[in-house]
Amino acid sequence: MMIQNYVCSIILLALGMYMLMVKKNLIQIVCGLGLLDYGVNLFIVSVGYNEGGTAPLYVGSELEYLAKNGAVYFVDPVPQALTLTSIVIGACVTAMALSIVIRIGQTYGTLEADQIRRLRG
Amino acid sequence: MMNYVEHFPALATMVLFLGAFLVTIFGGKNKTLRIFLAMAAATASFVMVLCVAKYVIIDGNIITYWLGNWTPVKDYAIGIGLEVDSLNAFFALLVTLTTYLSGWYSIKYMSRDEGGDYYYTLYLMLSGSVLGLVLTGDIFNMFVMIEIMTFACVALTAFRNWSKGALEAGFKYLVIGSLGSTCTLTGIALLYAQCHTLNMAQLSAMIAKVGITGNSTMILAFALLITGFGIKSYAVPFHFVAADAYMAAPASVSMLFSGMVNKAGVYGLIRVCYIILQTMGLGKVQTLLVAVGTVSMFVGVTMALNQHDFKRLLAFHSISQIGYVLTAIGLGTALGVAGGLYHAMNHTLFKGLLFLCAGAVYYATGRTNLNNMGGLAKKMPQTCIIFLIAAFSISGLPPFNGFVSKWMIYQAIYAKSAQSFGYLFVTVVALITSTLTLASFIKVTQSAFFGQSRPEFDDVKEVPGSMLLPMWVMAILCVFTGVAPKFVTEKLITPAVNAVMSVNKYIDTMMGAGYTEKITGSAATEISAEQITIGNWTPVMWLVLFGIVLVAFTVVAVFGKSSRGYTNNSKEQPDNKHATFFGGEMATRSTVVGSDLFWGFRHNFKGYFEKLEGIHSGVVNDYAVWAIGALAVFVMYLNAVL
Repeated sequence: MMIQNYVCSIILLALGMYMLMVKKNLIQIVCGLGLLDYGVNLFIVSVGYNEGGTAPLYVGSELEYLAKNGAVYFVDPVPQALTLTSIVIGACVTAMALSIVIRIGQTYGTLEADQIRRLRG
Repeated sequence: MMNYVEHFPALATMVLFLGAFLVTIFGGKNKTLRIFLAMAAATASFVMVLCVAKYVIIDGNIITYWLGNWTPVKDYAIGIGLEVDSLNAFFALLVTLTTYLSGWYSIKYMSRDEGGDYYYTLYLMLSGSVLGLVLTGDIFNMFVMIEIMTFACVALTAFRNWSKGALEAGFKYLVIGSLGSTCTLTGIALLYAQCHTLNMAQLSAMIAKVGITGNSTMILAFALLITGFGIKSYAVPFHFVAADAYMAAPASVSMLFSGMVNKAGVYGLIRVCYIILQTMGLGKVQTLLVAVGTVSMFVGVTMALNQHDFKRLLAFHSISQIGYVLTAIGLGTALGVAGGLYHAMNHTLFKGLLFLCAGAVYYATGRTNLNNMGGLAKKMPQTCIIFLIAAFSISGLPPFNGFVSKWMIYQAIYAKSAQSFGYLFVTVVALITSTLTLASFIKVTQSAFFGQSRPEFDDVKEVPGSMLLPMWVMAILCVFTGVAPKFVTEKLITPAVNAVMSVNKYIDTMMGAGYTEKITGSAATEISAEQITIGNWTPVMWLVLFGIVLVAFTVVAVFGKSSRGYTNNSKEQPDNKHATFFGGEMATRSTVVGSDLFWGFRHNFKGYFEKLEGIHSGVVNDYAVWAIGALAVFVMYLNAVL
């Protein structure tokens, strides 16, 4: 059943948004961004999954044979490629966010979002 | 046989990324070499896009380019395709022009900073990603470009990490920007789940077949995409991070942000609403976009009145002008889109120019606080003249370009008010916003360039020629697009508007002739927009509007009397400088600074301004609440009405 996957991804997205809105520590906010990424990744992979499908790896002759002897049934490879891209991007976002957080910690002496507000109004 | 120009969209994007790599590898030590590499890449890309623009906009072709020659198989797009119609070419022209001029400006402006090779790498990556975004025909490719863009933006915002708030602005931008990217990606995944394709043309045909009304998956995808691109275009309520980022970034980067990064958001909104989901025919979607645009206009300009930092003030004006663009494209009429695109182009020109002026003042004096400036007109006459041209343009004074596009937008909104009374209100807000923009720029001009000079500024010199050159080019373009509106609309705007309005042509060019008919069952008809003229107006209606404004003014004048007649009870210490005006005593140096102007106005609307300041609290969680709240509102609204 795929329903668990969708429910899980929505829970992950909701948790990520919750952390962005409520958590004051910058590291926790970065964790929230990570959760958002995982939620979306799980969602995309689930979109491409076909129940009972095989891996989409065929050479031409096999494909012809399978097509002759019934339907070829495999999972959609495109969402997997999208997810890979998204995972890479997510990792980069986390790395960059953490490096900025380190510099903020050095400059401001705190990681509380409430105190990092020199730009306002 | 393909025309050689058809390879240029892909090459123009690639050459910028290639330049970024070369600068990283070879430009670490040698300053001249890295500037040469960066400028060579920017120039090459600019020239290629010029060729593409001529081929597409003037000659009326549409370029389709399948990367790796993966053409559609059995009517299914399997490769990544680029499709360049007049709309893409129009935005690509804006992007490369901004890149090119910003590059010239950076040579001197960034010469005092450390880490020039990083700067040029990021600069080229930002330019390449935005150019790729506006040229691609594949929606996932668009997402990847958005991510690269967000990355480069964050790094460039935090580039001067020693300056006030740069790191903090970078972090906030990263959080809200990633939220926007997540929304976009989720929207794309939902579209893929429904249509099993990522090609925009094919998506458009499939969605036209399925229909969006009543399909809650599609509506959710639409809401997510609007939010995602809304964040990229910095419309209210996603604008908080924009003000911080524009302020903290170097001026040449602020110019890139306002010149092309938020244009990328606007482009995405046009592409999603008009082409991919084809929802702009629905009155409720128009209402949504116009509402967002109107609020952006007004909130942006009133926040700007309250600022005393040069670049932060300009940032809020940028948000306000994007409000105009969104309002105009939200109208869904040909005249509205024409006005919106014209204003988008003008915004690129005059706002970029204003940021360059702010950068020039910073370069010469090291200051951005308007309360510490004065009398720079004598020291920097050319910058002052250029600044005045840009300020007149943004305020919409007649010979300059802001007037033309704002006039078109007023007409478009007002023409729409025949359908619904609410648009009359939008027209009034647009007019008031323009007035307040002028007021705010009077303040900047007075406090930075006019008035008495300060002793610290005695040895201030005009900025070098390599910085003045791009400024003059943009100033001349501002005047040109203002005095030759007919030429510009005919050659540039009308083809782009036609491209926005003829969806089926877009689909058929990409997927093969007759594709739309096969999928949707309706024949492809070429719609050509009505001839858009600047004098498209009815005098009687404007007389009625004038009457309404006059009545409103009278009401305020009569009933608003009770709030007048009080002194300014602010907590500031009494200052001698006012004595010159009120008491008649001589002051040796009396500089009327930025916050002295319009204090009466600000005092009368103190409650409103204090509330706005409270909203712009600087806490990143609050900004996330606004963005997610707006997403929730969009989802609920669209589900309720579609």
